[in-house]
Amino acid sequence: MTSSFNYSTHLIPPRPITSQSTQRPTSQRPTASHHTTTEPNSSLQQTNKRRCKCYDMYKQVVPFAEAWSWQKSIVEERKLLVDGNEDGLDSLIVVQHQPVYTLGTASSEENLNFDIKDSPLPLYQTERGGEVTYHGPGQLVLYPILNLRFQKMDLHWYMRALEEVVIRVLFSAFSLKASRVEGLTGVWVGDKKLAAIGIRVSKWLTYHGLALNVSTDLSPFSRIIPCGIKDRGVGSIKELLIGSNRPSSTSGYHEEGDGKLIDIAHESLLKEFCEVFQLELCHQSVSILRSPDR
Amino acid sequence: MAMASRLWVSKAASYLKISTFNRAFASVVKDLKYADSHEWAKIEGNSATIGITDHAQDHLGDVVYVELPEVGSAVTQGSGFGAVESVKATSDINSPVSGKVVQVNEELNSSPGLVNGSPYENGWIIKVEMSNADEVKSLMDSEQYSKFCEEEDNH
Repeated sequence: MTSSFNYSTHLIPPRPITSQSTQRPTSQRPTASHHTTTEPNSSLQQTNKRRCKCYDMYKQVVPFAEAWSWQKSIVEERKLLVDGNEDGLDSLIVVQHQPVYTLGTASSEENLNFDIKDSPLPLYQTERGGEVTYHGPGQLVLYPILNLRFQKMDLHWYMRALEEVVIRVLFSAFSLKASRVEGLTGVWVGDKKLAAIGIRVSKWLTYHGLALNVSTDLSPFSRIIPCGIKDRGVGSIKELLIGSNRPSSTSGYHEEGDGKLIDIAHESLLKEFCEVFQLELCHQSVSILRSPDR
Repeated sequence: MAMASRLWVSKAASYLKISTFNRAFASVVKDLKYADSHEWAKIEGNSATIGITDHAQDHLGDVVYVELPEVGSAVTQGSGFGAVESVKATSDINSPVSGKVVQVNEELNSSPGLVNGSPYENGWIIKVEMSNADEVKSLMDSEQYSKFCEEEDNH
């Protein structure tokens, strides 16, 4: 049974169709009660999902600058196609990063507990929205490059949809009940944020994306006010499952456990991503991204 | 609504040159030109004042930041010249015309919300000296733009 993501109480089919009555929600902003509606959509069951190229490096720790440059070049190529009305396939890049801090377009230095010129880690000022965040090993980062014309031309919907992917992963793979907090984009378990989201849109092409803490070392978050939110914390799946962020000999949890958590999270992320965005992944060789032509 | 106030509204609307619609809809100003990426241009001689439309700001939500170009930089029709950020998403603003940026609305640095509150007036973003006035012909007028928005929202 296909559970497509329905943002409002009106059924929104995954693919645009010509006639829709009151498709847009009456208020522009998401309401406090977000529903994960999983009404069966069998009458609109999609047998031909749009294809999406997937550059899956989930076990690799990739320098931030490299993945950023891949995204930008994919977006530049697609903008040309979009201008010529020939746009093709979406892309998804999945990586882990070496430790970095990244800033968004409006990021305030006040959210850094250090002098920006003296950052303890490499620091990148990017063109995404949102405040400062940390990326590092143990955190799965997804960079979807989607043309929202093929989804829904609504940034709020897109953010809620990204949150939806993670909420479903946390529930179906880890039995963790996660939620949204109105006004605070991201995915929360209690008052801890497990996934951060920040995106850039250009001609309805999205890039940047989301980062989910699986077994991330959370201590670098203490040097920043993550996403500018002072009175809440950051969490990880591992911390929630085994109660602490360091391997505990009494619980019998080994380092390999981290790898297993990442594997499980990764598999679930791809599955839920495909469900929410109604896409079919076509795995690509990563060497394409690394070729000298790029 | 009473007859008298309905009359007032439509009189006020035509005085302000704003089109009103029966159902709640973003406002569109006559005499402006529009791009399909939801920017407007007010053409006065060789100069164009540019901003984003009510429809655009409505869809974005609260604008928390506007990235302005440098005065003196070039803009090209259809290409990005700046950006607006709302809710963790930053979007490009594209220029409806090509030319040189002669003025930017510095007020937006401290009050980015002007884009939401007054998209066609105080929320203007840049002023451009056009390099090719013919480009204006490829832009939409207010009626075409209203129709375009309707179609886009129903897609």
